[in-house]
Amino acid sequence: MIQMHDISKRFADYEAIKAVDIEVNGGEIYGIIGASGAGKSTLLRLMNLLEVPDCGEVVVDGKNLMTMKPKQLREARKSMGMIFQHFNLVANLTIYDNVEVCLQLANYPKHQRRERVMECLRFVGLAHLEKQYPQSLSGGQKQRVAIARALANEPKVLLCDEPTSSLDPHTTAEILAVLEEINRTLGVTIVIVSHEMEVIQSICHRVSVMADGSVYKTIELEPKGIPDVDHTPEYFIEKLTGEVSGDA
Amino acid sequence: MPEVLQRYEAEIWQAIGETFAMVGMSILAAVIVGLPVGTLLFLCRKENLLESRAVFSILNLLVNTIRSFPFLLLVVFLIPFTRFIIGTAIGTAAATVPLSIIAIAHYSRLVEQSLLDVPRGVIEAAKAMGASVVEVVFKFLFVEARSGLVLGLTTSIISFISYSTIMGVVGGGGIGDFAIRYGYQQFMTDLMIYMIIIMVILVQCIQFIGTTVARVIDKR
Ligand SMILES: Nc1ncnc2c1ncn2[C@@H]1O[C@H](COP(=O)(O)OP(=O)(O)OP(=O)(O)O)[C@@H](O)[C@H]1O
Ligand SMILES: [Mg+2]
Repeated sequence: MIQMHDISKRFADYEAIKAVDIEVNGGEIYGIIGASGAGKSTLLRLMNLLEVPDCGEVVVDGKNLMTMKPKQLREARKSMGMIFQHFNLVANLTIYDNVEVCLQLANYPKHQRRERVMECLRFVGLAHLEKQYPQSLSGGQKQRVAIARALANEPKVLLCDEPTSSLDPHTTAEILAVLEEINRTLGVTIVIVSHEMEVIQSICHRVSVMADGSVYKTIELEPKGIPDVDHTPEYFIEKLTGEVSGDA
Repeated sequence: MPEVLQRYEAEIWQAIGETFAMVGMSILAAVIVGLPVGTLLFLCRKENLLESRAVFSILNLLVNTIRSFPFLLLVVFLIPFTRFIIGTAIGTAAATVPLSIIAIAHYSRLVEQSLLDVPRGVIEAAKAMGASVVEVVFKFLFVEARSGLVLGLTTSIISFISYSTIMGVVGGGGIGDFAIRYGYQQFMTDLMIYMIIIMVILVQCIQFIGTTVARVIDKR
């Protein structure tokens, strides 16, 4: 689905990405992990050419993005969703409008827009919040809206940059479950950048370990499933004191 | 109504009309030209959608130059230009030329600043969704910056009112000019004070409307 060949990227005199080769197969959940500054986000942004590589080629769904004209590139991006650590919703638009914007950009048939927006919001479980503004939502809910927005135009690929890094473990598990479901039921290829081991281990089929702008190694994984995190008071007390607190 | 106001009622209404005409034109110029110029200033900045050092530098220099003129000098300096555009350099219509020019420079800077407050991530998301530059501007930037744009315009309008008061020098008239000619030069201090009160009320109203609108449309 995504082939990157011999990709390099410099920022001024800093080599952020050094001759990376990567192939993401259609239908898989692909992880990218590494320390801060390793170049994970940059690599992800190279996949939809938000960052233009200095050399090499990026092929998505059989099409070489590097040789595209700006208009063709914009079209190509419409079949690639993207979500971010800080959600990046439009604060002055309602939840509904945030999702609809994606359809407007894609010239989705007008009379089908409402149905499609609601379908996406239902998928992430937020249909009842359509009239709210992002400001009144929790982090997890905002990320769900961002996911609905990214999915609206039926993309083949979903790029996720630290999608759970500003969420607590319980909400993280919920978001991962949504991503896993998107992959399983809609067949969307997902690339997840994260520095959290649990995130990668729970849902990724393969993972590339990055360091210093290079892919150190790519590993096949057996997804462990999403951990069950239930934040009862007992959970916190047990974690803090090491004691299993009974009714005592 | 106080007797002086009754005596000069017609002139006062005319002065108010002139002020509204001058400020109205300034607002039009600010919105029609200043908004695009400010947006262009923002877009042409480093690492922005239309990054262009040349365009940015030229616009930036132009805006700074106009804004650094003492306004009275700008009015005088622009007389040949005004004559070229309007056919005369005297009168209310002629006065709108320098006013519009300062209005454009003034508001475009405030527009640029409001747009700079839009989180970069929102623009990123827009680009990732395949938005063109025009779509980024209208569907994301202006939406996200709208309360700043309104507050900026409010501040600008109040400045325009202040600028318009000296347009008497080119026969532009207006409340300020009336206050000087009748109130100050003919020693009718009470008349001058009434004119100042009108100006204060006008500014208060505009600020109130601007602040209220900005608050209502701000969902951040
Ligand atoms: N636009 C930019 N201009 C200059 N340097 C940049 C730019 N973007 C990234 N870099 C640099 O490239 C390197 C890799 O950045 P990147 O954001 O890809 O790292 P990361 O692995 O995602 O780290 P983190 O976990 O902190 O998000 C960093 O040293 C960063 O400072
Ligand atoms: Mg990163």
